[in-house]
Amino acid sequence: MSTTQYQRAGQLRGTGDGLNPYALTTPQKLMVFVLSMALFGLSNIILEIIPDVTIGPFDFSIAYFVFVPLTMAALFSPFWVALGAPLGEIIFTDLLMGDFSGLAEIEGFIQMFLAIFIAGSVIRNPRNRAQIALGALLIVFIDKLLSAAVDLSKVWIGVEDAEYVEGLPESMLLLEGVGFGIDLIISGFLFGILPALWLVPALHGRIEPLMGMRPRVAGEPIPGQGKSSGPFVGAVVLLAVASFFFAFLEAWDVSVGAWEPELLEQFGMGFLWVSVAAIVVLVAVALVLFRAAQKKDARTPTHTTGV
Amino acid sequence: MARKTRDVISVEWIKLELMRAAYATRGGTFSRMDPRMVLLWYAVMAIVPWFTHNLTVLAGLFLLNAVAVILARVGPLLLFLFVFGIGMEAIYILAAAWLFGGDLGTLYALSELTLKLGAISMASMAAFVSLDPEKLSDALLALRAPALLAFAVSYGYRMLPILVEEFNTVFDNYRLRSAPPRRAGFLGVNHLYRWVRMAILSFYPIFLNTALSVRTTVEALETRGLTYATVDDRGRRIRLGYLKVRPLDILVLTVSILLVVAVFVTGQLWPIFRTDLLG
Amino acid sequence: MPASPVISLENVSFRYPGTAEDTLRNVTLQIAEGDFAAVVGGNGSAKTTLCKTFNGLVPHYWSGEFSGVAEVCGIDTYTSSVAQLSSQVGYVYQDFANQLVRPTVRDEIAFAPVNFGHVDHAERTREALEMLRITDLSERFVWQLSGGQAHLTALASVLALRPRVVVVDEPVAELDPARAQEIYQRLEVLNEQFGLTIVTIEHHAEFIARFAKSVVLMADGAPVWHLPVQDAVNRSHELAEHGIPAPQIVQAAHRLGLADAPRTVPEAARALRAHAPVAATASGTASGAVAGTRSGAGPRPSLEQFTRPAAEQASAPLPVVARATAVQHGYRTVHGRLHNVLDELDVDLRRGDRVALVGGNGSGKTTLLKLLAGILVPRSGDVEVSGTNTRKKSAGQLADHVAYLWQQPQQMFLKESIRSDIALFPRERGVPGWEAIVDDTLSQVRLDDFADRDGRSLSGGQQRRATLAIGLAMRPDVLLLDEPTASLDIASRDAVVRMLDQLSGTIACSVVATHDMTLVSEWANRVLVMEGGRVASDLSPHELFDQPDLLTRANLVPPQITQLGMSLGMTPPPLDVREFVDRFDGLKLQHADLHPASADLHPASSAEMRAYGTQDA
Repeated sequence: MSTTQYQRAGQLRGTGDGLNPYALTTPQKLMVFVLSMALFGLSNIILEIIPDVTIGPFDFSIAYFVFVPLTMAALFSPFWVALGAPLGEIIFTDLLMGDFSGLAEIEGFIQMFLAIFIAGSVIRNPRNRAQIALGALLIVFIDKLLSAAVDLSKVWIGVEDAEYVEGLPESMLLLEGVGFGIDLIISGFLFGILPALWLVPALHGRIEPLMGMRPRVAGEPIPGQGKSSGPFVGAVVLLAVASFFFAFLEAWDVSVGAWEPELLEQFGMGFLWVSVAAIVVLVAVALVLFRAAQKKDARTPTHTTGV
Repeated sequence: MARKTRDVISVEWIKLELMRAAYATRGGTFSRMDPRMVLLWYAVMAIVPWFTHNLTVLAGLFLLNAVAVILARVGPLLLFLFVFGIGMEAIYILAAAWLFGGDLGTLYALSELTLKLGAISMASMAAFVSLDPEKLSDALLALRAPALLAFAVSYGYRMLPILVEEFNTVFDNYRLRSAPPRRAGFLGVNHLYRWVRMAILSFYPIFLNTALSVRTTVEALETRGLTYATVDDRGRRIRLGYLKVRPLDILVLTVSILLVVAVFVTGQLWPIFRTDLLG
Repeated sequence: MPASPVISLENVSFRYPGTAEDTLRNVTLQIAEGDFAAVVGGNGSAKTTLCKTFNGLVPHYWSGEFSGVAEVCGIDTYTSSVAQLSSQVGYVYQDFANQLVRPTVRDEIAFAPVNFGHVDHAERTREALEMLRITDLSERFVWQLSGGQAHLTALASVLALRPRVVVVDEPVAELDPARAQEIYQRLEVLNEQFGLTIVTIEHHAEFIARFAKSVVLMADGAPVWHLPVQDAVNRSHELAEHGIPAPQIVQAAHRLGLADAPRTVPEAARALRAHAPVAATASGTASGAVAGTRSGAGPRPSLEQFTRPAAEQASAPLPVVARATAVQHGYRTVHGRLHNVLDELDVDLRRGDRVALVGGNGSGKTTLLKLLAGILVPRSGDVEVSGTNTRKKSAGQLADHVAYLWQQPQQMFLKESIRSDIALFPRERGVPGWEAIVDDTLSQVRLDDFADRDGRSLSGGQQRRATLAIGLAMRPDVLLLDEPTASLDIASRDAVVRMLDQLSGTIACSVVATHDMTLVSEWANRVLVMEGGRVASDLSPHELFDQPDLLTRANLVPPQITQLGMSLGMTPPPLDVREFVDRFDGLKLQHADLHPASADLHPASSAEMRAYGTQDA
């Protein structure tokens, strides 16, 4: 049989490339999601083992290994990494190690989701060192800024007339500000930029084939954001806005709380519902996106039948 | 310094922790309840304190949640860490506030915040110490959380020991094959640098190995209907079929709500506000 | 064929996206209902891709150019879906551990039926547990399971969908031989009692010959032939050309001039007994033809030498290289108790020792190796390596004297190429002339052409040789290897054994933890049997194989040729084919005395089957 030239004998039924070559298929998205969940979860478990170094009110420990989600966001898809990584943190370190804290987890999830998604989208070229460095700083910057904002609003809402209490606003600002700076240096620079500058190029072109993907090339559309057209981008923007909104409402949510008669008169019952709506929007959009992606994949082969 | 075996930082340790999380139920009241009702209870207790600045009410809620913590049989270590943490936090803020010219009013303001956050933390401790991760994810699934979340929980359960073991192995490889520093340096800084460097370098092989194994996992998930279940609702209903609200759930919720109302009424009768204290 | 085909492929071709050539090429193949088919073929012959067309993963999950018609249980896979086909075809992966996604065994098995919304999921789960007789495992956490138990769980989880076909991808690859045999015995039950069609991908001719009903030989993306198993085994030279060396008993039978290849040890024993008178006359030519074919092991020791370990044969005992004294080690259990793995263990390892460390799962083989390597330190007692107490130095410093090679090669690949991996140790430690060491080591394991590849992209045998090179470049006195031949096909395994053989010049003492009795018989000169946290026996390979009850207790399956020798009443039993053939001439077979030997044919396996459920991981 080896002597004759090989020719296909069966009828060609589908070519399988009805998809945009830059887009990820559903299994690929799921792979990226699971991978980022597993790896960021693991990196957080390792940090659990390392003892925290606190001097007075200041925590000098590593908040997270920023280079882990950043590497995946740069190489694969910012969106699916942004969904998977914070979930991995919550499940691996908090839920499974018995340290789950309820609503605060949602708060953390949204902060991290936004941080990774935005930072990952900034990296258009995984070989560009400046973009990688910017991405690493952005993750810590966005996440920690939001969490500082949440902390401050908790005090502002939780304490009656907090702004009139002598010394309280200043001291809170001081503590949060210094903590922010420390995180930026330790988590953002030492455990963000430096390792990422090594790891992203080292893995680029090596890890993608293991997962059946094409390596990203500078200038091509980013798979997470996908095709630069239509409802997809719209949905992503909507999600970003919704979650930004929610992140701040989360501070309020906590806030759902500041139910003083004056406050209600000022804002009306409306803002309670807005915060509930924001949660619903966020979850719904994520669901719709995932399902839409699935349906598209499921349809593709039948469409191309008989081509 | 002679080397010794320690019982932390090992795969066995992680497995033990996981088992503890899985059998988290120390047999407290909440562990016998429907997880959805526990979540509802938590939601009530976590939100209510934000509705008031009345110190009487806050103190009552604090006590109420302290009782819940006892009923849930929260471990003593967890309690100690909680009390210590919340106390130190207040002290730091107070110290800083004094720097900026704070006074007794600052102390009262902080005690309001501490009571509030403390009550909420205790509510979450009582609720989540009693729910094992599987139950919790079922409850969230019942509340229409995405199916991926439920999957993520069981996947985490399954993978955590494997991932930690793999990391351990790769790290040991670096430990054996890279060169130990010749001199320890100031406060052993050279050793610290080497360990940190090895931990980071270990991620290169971990990334690649995990990517390989995830491929099989996701493919197997497809054959076993994970994506099918997101389209077809029957699987979800079967999975959640065991959730049932029992008299105990109703009793606990009713009593809790009645007590909360009672606390608010008491607060109305004998109100204390920060401004009152300052005279 | 009498039964109707359950799988029918007609001119199926498939090309993965982004590749230049078709992976499957005009595959036309029919597998009958109730068949037990083994798919064999060399690396890259598309065995796995073929099997993934059966449940629709190709082309629905892995999209690409698909042509031809694949029908499974009468369903055209192209117009169906993975979800629908999964209820007809179950798939157990080679790396089955990654297939498990739920915390407990029962949850794992119920996972698919629940997802597909089967109301009777509890009954299906119970049924699957019972079919494989693992009901007593049902409440275990999956990470508490041993390899064999995990494989059975993966198998049960696909059975819960009540498929008509089960595909098992290389069950032997990640299991020790005793466990693999057990898996095959369960598959046999599924096939014969429950009427399931079984398809396995397999390298090991031994299992194919014993369990399969038909064999599909794949090459270059298409079947070369699909034959009933006896015909396939008779073409052993063709199989050997495709990287599947004949089983030992077939080799022996051919050399002794049997016409039909025997498929099991009892069959071989029967045939040889019948053949014996002829063999006695034809022996001169048979053994003459054989001499020199087995080059690696060198001359075997004479019969008088069989009884003592090498170290004690020498007039004066050779120096001790590593020593463990009263070592006690264990880990904490959930209840905070200490579970002892090693208990007051004493052992001396001497220069020139080639130690095989054997014993059941959980008998502490790996723990002992890690203690010797200084990765762990004992809770009490002392371990000395090259005169240094392991408590006194860090593991990194001890690595100058002792090298430990992990069981999973990919966990040892830290760098982007195997050259940098091999160089890591000598370069970081500033060993003079490290470049030359790296080059020498690479050529010693014959991987020069692959030096710049990532270790993960190599084949199983190459990966194992690469880890061996990493160990060699460390220039240790003591080399410790954990299951170095696990998951290798026979040709690669022989290559690794040959390489271990050549080490004796550079390494003072090697210790291998293994389940591979062929490795023990062909390489080791001293066997330590671990049991109850101690060294239960310290003996030579021949002595080991002379004690069937010891083999059973240590969960070991002797090599086929040794089993054959035992059943023909050879004492001490032969350790390789050449020895068997040589000694067969002198053997006086007693035709009347057929029974006593056959009871001992598979000591490990029968005991395993009984003990399985109660055994702890």
